[in-house]
Amino acid sequence: MTVKNKLILLSLISLLVVGFPSKSNTQRTSGSTKAVVTFEEVPGKVSGIGWVHNNAHSPERFLPETVGAGCAFLDFDNDGWMDIFLVNSGPSDFYSPTTSLKNALYRNNHNGSFTDVTDQAGLAGGRFGMGVAVADYDGDGWQDLYLTNYGPNVLYRNNGNGTFTEVTDKVGVATQGWSTCAVWFDYDNDGKLDLFVSSFVYFDKSQHLLCVDKTMTQNYYCIPRIFKPRPSYLFHNNGNGSFTDVSKESGIAASPGKSFGAVATDVNNDGLLDLFVANDTVPNFLFINKGGGKFEEIGLEAAVAYSETGKPRSGMGVDATDYDGDGWQDLFVANIDQEFFSLYRNQRDLTFTDEPGEIGPATQLLSGWGLKFFDYDDDGDPDLLLVNGHPDDLVEMKTSRVKYKEPLLLFENSGAGFKNVSAQSGKVFAKQFSGRGMAVGDFDNDGDLDVLISNNGEAPLLLRNEGGNRNNWLGLQLVATKSNPAAVGALITWQAGGVKRSRLKTAGGSYLASHDPREILGLGSGTTVDPVQIRWPSGRIDKLTNLPINRYTRVVEGQGIANLTTTK
Amino acid sequence: MIACAVLTLTLHSTSAQGDTYTKRLERAATLIVENRLDEAEKQLVSLLRVAPNRAAALDLLGTVRAKQGRLDEAGTLFKRAIRADNQLIGAHLNLAYLYLLKGMPEKTALELKEVLRLDPDNADASYKLAWLLLSQARLDECISLIEKLQQSRPLTVPMLIVLGDAHVKKGNIDQAEKAYLAISEQSQNADALLGMARVSQSRRNLNAALEYLQRAKEFLADSPDRLYKFAAAAFGLNLNDDAIWALRRAIKIRPDEPSYYLVLGIVQLALKNPDLQDAEESFRECLKRQPGNAQARLHLGYVLLKQKKYPDAQVWLEKSIQKQTRSPEAFYYLGLIAQEQNENEKAIELFQKAIQLEPAFAYAHIALGAVHLKLKNYTRAQQELEIGVKINPQSSKAHYNLAILYARLKDPQRAQEEMRIIEKLKSEGKTQENEVDTLAPAAPR
Repeated sequence: MTVKNKLILLSLISLLVVGFPSKSNTQRTSGSTKAVVTFEEVPGKVSGIGWVHNNAHSPERFLPETVGAGCAFLDFDNDGWMDIFLVNSGPSDFYSPTTSLKNALYRNNHNGSFTDVTDQAGLAGGRFGMGVAVADYDGDGWQDLYLTNYGPNVLYRNNGNGTFTEVTDKVGVATQGWSTCAVWFDYDNDGKLDLFVSSFVYFDKSQHLLCVDKTMTQNYYCIPRIFKPRPSYLFHNNGNGSFTDVSKESGIAASPGKSFGAVATDVNNDGLLDLFVANDTVPNFLFINKGGGKFEEIGLEAAVAYSETGKPRSGMGVDATDYDGDGWQDLFVANIDQEFFSLYRNQRDLTFTDEPGEIGPATQLLSGWGLKFFDYDDDGDPDLLLVNGHPDDLVEMKTSRVKYKEPLLLFENSGAGFKNVSAQSGKVFAKQFSGRGMAVGDFDNDGDLDVLISNNGEAPLLLRNEGGNRNNWLGLQLVATKSNPAAVGALITWQAGGVKRSRLKTAGGSYLASHDPREILGLGSGTTVDPVQIRWPSGRIDKLTNLPINRYTRVVEGQGIANLTTTK
Repeated sequence: MIACAVLTLTLHSTSAQGDTYTKRLERAATLIVENRLDEAEKQLVSLLRVAPNRAAALDLLGTVRAKQGRLDEAGTLFKRAIRADNQLIGAHLNLAYLYLLKGMPEKTALELKEVLRLDPDNADASYKLAWLLLSQARLDECISLIEKLQQSRPLTVPMLIVLGDAHVKKGNIDQAEKAYLAISEQSQNADALLGMARVSQSRRNLNAALEYLQRAKEFLADSPDRLYKFAAAAFGLNLNDDAIWALRRAIKIRPDEPSYYLVLGIVQLALKNPDLQDAEESFRECLKRQPGNAQARLHLGYVLLKQKKYPDAQVWLEKSIQKQTRSPEAFYYLGLIAQEQNENEKAIELFQKAIQLEPAFAYAHIALGAVHLKLKNYTRAQQELEIGVKINPQSSKAHYNLAILYARLKDPQRAQEEMRIIEKLKSEGKTQENEVDTLAPAAPR
């Protein structure tokens, strides 16, 4: 059933808010919408994050070594503060770690530091991890974790007491082979979170090939072109704690790919969530949700599958947003060096044109993985952060231009396109990383979005947003009652400072990562926000007035404001 | 170059004059050769103070000015010398070289012809004029000049090379071979071997061409001209690494020659994995030395376009059109920029202009088709794309756009067929990744 077909309930809700004031109240400068915002590294000594990714690097250079890993902001203990999860490698058919490798769950201490609670939580893992997707799949109010692996994936159910239980086989979301991204979204609008899992190539130790350049004496990481594509998975949530594999009947399995990033969004505004999937060396997929549990792949027709000369590129990270404010979701995909990244502008008829603007020349020599549209300066429009790193650690032996470790890039949405503001956005942008996953979240609850980056074979990077909250903001925690628990597909519309804006709550995006589920609406220098309208995936529309700004507000579908139980 | 001519020609022509004057003039010439320009200048100014219209002194002072980089003053002095003595060959020759230095080939040729009128046996002027005509692609004039000379005396090796090169450029492969073989009988000459490489290449005898090229490599020594010719021949044989090696060496020896950078950039673009930044640098270096070089402007615009640096690319392409108003490539590239910037109507106009200038410009048709596809003018898109494919069946861009078109027209079978063509072209190594290169000017041969 589509949104259009549903009864639309409109409720005007008066608000009672108990939130926590932000430190931004003391930092804000009146009317300042263009003050410099920077991202500052939070050192491990301060954050307490001492964990380092092990990429299992070997002389043979098995492909999974260079692909991982992911990371997430999540609130696993429902204390209102973003915790951190980091994915690690582990034993596999080509790798036997000499020491025990663990994922990491860091609990937020509410003071800028974190405590490692991995073992207590039972999330150490023990597989060759890739990515993580966080959501409350069973609607019990607690965030669960789905970990993708090179090897069988794992679903951890949150027990609500700081511990997790593996339920993969029990609930029916087991997979074969090598998975990368996973996305929780409700494709049939039944109020339950379904699960898309992107598959990478057919690969195991027996299929490993030694790729040796004629000018080199060492193996390099093989380009995935030589491996066969695999179909991805779609699991339907039955609502009784179990899932059904609907990959075939939905049409998803009919398009085998070499999939990395995936994002669920609604590109044709029909109220049904579609999927954009980046593929490496084969065409990208745009799966249009036709309703009735069916998807149709239209990447070619939509002109988002290939380069302008019909060449499949090395798609990795993806995201979706309405960057130009026309009410239609645009798409982004990062590729490998020399291929340029693509910003696909929605032409409102299921076709797209690639209009990267300033992003084009800036990304010519880069290989992009984690990426996210988010409003880092709270001015109301989505900006873009790109995390880069070449997959081949020997690339510098082949060319002097392309580097293995690459810089981050930050683009500000100027209203007329994206402007590269990396140089003035903090010292971290002058550094190079082997970046992979990237999650966005407000870990210090100050009203501006911070960033977590997982680096291949290195320590993660936690970046604190300094100054984004000089602008006014409104934080929303959407609590669904009828819609899916993550409120994926909700459309939030707000007006501040005379400007009307909207945001679709998408799912997935970036690379191997999961993000803060809350929404921060940037108000710029606007001091009021009226009204805020939420069109829930169920079709219900809640209109909220007199919302207090510069604090988080919990909005319950059809009920209005609920008290927040935590304060800073 | 100018100073040497002065020594040989001016002194000869002044020998009949008074001893003191001649000695002072000789002294000034020696000082010029020793690069003691201030002293030479004093000597000559002193001479001219007494006799302001002494042609030889004016000619020598012009030489001093030329060596001081004061080219306009030098030109005025050479002209005054000629007015004072129209028979003064040295002054004509110096003026010719000065014009060459200032990038005025027409005037150079006129002066060289004047030298030959005064002294038909002047080997230096003959050679320089033949070389100049060749470099200006005035091939018939060049060949006629040399053949006329040949009637009176045997041709020198350099002249035979110019003759051979002119015949190659004109497509007279047999005559070119004859000229080169005449040299080979005299000596192992790198230019002749390079010429033979091009003759063999023209005859599609690639093994022979490669062999000549390899033999020539041994005799290149440190001659930038030869290195340049070697690079051009190597480029023609797709030996791009060799071409880059030779050009870099030529640049090291003669860093001020703009054409070396231009060709280097072109070769860098032709690499299997083109290094766009390197090519950009090369074109910029060329333009530093020769700001008005239209080809360098066009190529720089193109390479910036390839890097999606559209505003900068647009500036250079528009500059190239100022010099070459009928360049279909420039209009095509500007059209691509307009298309990328969503200025679709402007893009259509520019592609149509490119097609008007070159009706068989496949990529302009394809790009025009792509804009119509973007604008959902599917009938027009199909027309243009099909014209493009007809002219160039190996264009993956055309097949790709047709695939999108058929997919949108709900003809998935034909869409897949187009994609299969791309796959096939790719597997056969026939796809043209850098399709916008197609009409780009080739390296000078």
